[in-house]
Amino acid sequence: MINTLLAVAPELVPLALVDSFIEFLHPSELSRVLIDGLSKAAIYAMIAGGLTLIFGLMGVLNFAHGSLTMVGAYLGGAVMVLMVSSTTGPLARVAFFFVAVAVVFGALSAVGGALEVTLIRRLYDRPPIAQILLTFGLTLIIDELMRIILEFYDIQPRADWIAAWGTKPWFLSQRLSVGPISVRGIALFEIVMGVLTVAGIWAFLTRTRYGLFIRAGSEDSEMASALGIDVRRVFTVVFALGTGVAGIAGALLMWDTHWGASVPLGAETLLPAFVVVIIGGLGTFRGTVAAALLVGLVDAIMSWWFVNEIKFSGLPQLTIFLILVFVLIVRPQGLFGVEEVGGH
Amino acid sequence: MAISDDASPEDATVASGSEDAVTTTQDSDASGWSAWPVRYARDHIVHLVVILLFAVYPGLYHEATTLPDGLVIPLVDVQLALVFQSFLPQVTTMTPILYFGLFAMSFDFISGYTGYLSFGHAAFYGIGAYFVILVANGKIPLLASGTPFMVSLVLAAVLAALIAVAIGFVSFRLTGVYFAMITLGFAQVFYVFVRGWDWVSTTPRDGVGVSFATHPEGFRIGIPYLDSASYAIGRLTGSGIDNFLGMFDLSTNVVSFYMIGLVVLVCYFLMQRIIHSPFGRVMIAIRENEERAEAVGYNTFYYKLGAFAISGAFAGVGGALFAGYRRSVTPENTFYFLTTGDALLSSIIGGLGTIAGPLYGRLFEQGLAEFLSKGSEGGGLLPLLQELLSDSLLGTNVLGLTIEEMIDVFINGRASLYVGIVFVLFVLFVPNGLLGTLRDRLGGPIAKVVPDRLFGGERP
Repeated sequence: MINTLLAVAPELVPLALVDSFIEFLHPSELSRVLIDGLSKAAIYAMIAGGLTLIFGLMGVLNFAHGSLTMVGAYLGGAVMVLMVSSTTGPLARVAFFFVAVAVVFGALSAVGGALEVTLIRRLYDRPPIAQILLTFGLTLIIDELMRIILEFYDIQPRADWIAAWGTKPWFLSQRLSVGPISVRGIALFEIVMGVLTVAGIWAFLTRTRYGLFIRAGSEDSEMASALGIDVRRVFTVVFALGTGVAGIAGALLMWDTHWGASVPLGAETLLPAFVVVIIGGLGTFRGTVAAALLVGLVDAIMSWWFVNEIKFSGLPQLTIFLILVFVLIVRPQGLFGVEEVGGH
Repeated sequence: MAISDDASPEDATVASGSEDAVTTTQDSDASGWSAWPVRYARDHIVHLVVILLFAVYPGLYHEATTLPDGLVIPLVDVQLALVFQSFLPQVTTMTPILYFGLFAMSFDFISGYTGYLSFGHAAFYGIGAYFVILVANGKIPLLASGTPFMVSLVLAAVLAALIAVAIGFVSFRLTGVYFAMITLGFAQVFYVFVRGWDWVSTTPRDGVGVSFATHPEGFRIGIPYLDSASYAIGRLTGSGIDNFLGMFDLSTNVVSFYMIGLVVLVCYFLMQRIIHSPFGRVMIAIRENEERAEAVGYNTFYYKLGAFAISGAFAGVGGALFAGYRRSVTPENTFYFLTTGDALLSSIIGGLGTIAGPLYGRLFEQGLAEFLSKGSEGGGLLPLLQELLSDSLLGTNVLGLTIEEMIDVFINGRASLYVGIVFVLFVLFVPNGLLGTLRDRLGGPIAKVVPDRLFGGERP
């Protein structure tokens, strides 16, 4: 088909682009891009999942989310570094990782719950900007406290934490080849973790009594409290849960060489998380997952094109914001959003 | 139209010129207030005092920090000069406070007065900063590398305003969080683009600067093409003035402080003028109740767009001053979203919805930062404590650390921790900020209430 097109109008389709396109469609390239995209989507879904839970119920845009992810990365890393020695086998390392995830989830949920009860609760009757500002201030505090702790233990806060990378089992730091396809081990692991987390939140929301309360609270919190649901407690639980999920995402990112545990990780994850939540539509978990998939895949495809063909190294990072701008222009309330949510 | 109390004009004199003309003719013999310069001075007494304080600050700082050794605070036996060195921000800190304060004011102009949180405001600051540097490097077509700074500053403002119109045209279809996020999205697009575009410089990631080879002199503020009516700014390249008014020698730092302060002052009065014009009233109406403003018959979209363009222009001026003073810019300190975050911080501490507030917010925040920062040159907390506390106390061991080490770990250079705490406390307990709270206490804008209190009764 492409050949006929070329025969008809050779001047319309630059030859190099066609070559690139054929190369892009090659099964090994395409599958690599697909796996990359899915792993990115998994990460986006994880860092945005907690954020969307909190926003959906409480209308709080949590600016401290990225910083809490960063804390999760360091905490998970610390647990791993303490438990793993050089002789630990790969499967034991994976098992330890889940221990670390449990520790991080527990610790950060406790932090989140405490933050909600002590600080954020005071601001529900204020305009939404007050919560944005408060959590923005929390970011400064959390980041600086983390820097104090790290410098105390002689860890460079700006650079990725190498020791945490070292706790990875060998098969996650290499490329695995399945037939003609070669994929990064960590990418597969991220996809698994992403699916587990999303499925976990989904099950919690739709299959548990508390999930029912949360959905009722998101729908109409006044009605829910009139029916006897303690909405205040539901708020605390959701905030705790959201920060816990942020922590899990952080624990996973500490192993990924593209991210790694560092203090700037907070800002690096906050922006994509926001963008994914906004693209999906504020307050819909389904929308966030769909947006994560969209952004992850488009990001991976654009990255391939820009790195291999167009050679503008800055542009892949541009994609996510271009998608944001485009979606907001075409569909201002986001993919699955309801018009009133998040308005003035 | 719902207009809150704090919206009442700070300088009613100028706002209602025709009305004044009438009253003046009536009361001209009744009081000594008849001459318009006197009336003007009376109504602007607060502005005059503040300007005067800023103007004498460099001299004051110099005098206070070089007090003779003999002057000590009784009882604690601390050198007075050292106390001033610790608490007063240096002049080299004050200059950045001025130009960043201007950026924060411009952020407040749109966010505080129309209620639309412009989270991508760093884009305009960055455009102003990069434009000036790129003009000086001869990268902008039609503009020679020797274009006077004042010309490129104005062009930077115009460019920032044009881009604000383009961004606003798309963004003002949205409200609330969505508006904040789409502007953030645009700013990040600029950030990533400038960071990766090698036309800007050979290493765009590290930013771009003006070389001393092509520009040995600093950028000049004043009347363009007239060297005698303009002075160069910059820490190393600024002009010093010897024998100013036959009395003082002004160092390059002080000259930069004054020249940048002058531009900021002009911008402040322009913004204030706009806020108190009918246009500004509509901006406030949009903040208070946009639907009602629309129902009254204003096409709020155009007002928002106009306000955004004006705000963008002033942000561009702030960025241009920053670039002119520093001579180099990086994507991180211009286009990055945390730059907007800093402006937000200053605005909240100073008072959102007050034009001058963000400047004081920045002053407060940077003063605190310098007080807690490392480095002996600007004084700070550590030298003060070393003087104040005995060596044995500093050496006391608490939980495995000496007190001195604890100060070093938890206080020195940890300003953002304490700024964060202060910020959170402000959000919780002082939601109106420094100036906003003062305004509430006084029952009206400070610049309006204070003259009334001082000179009694209503304005003649």
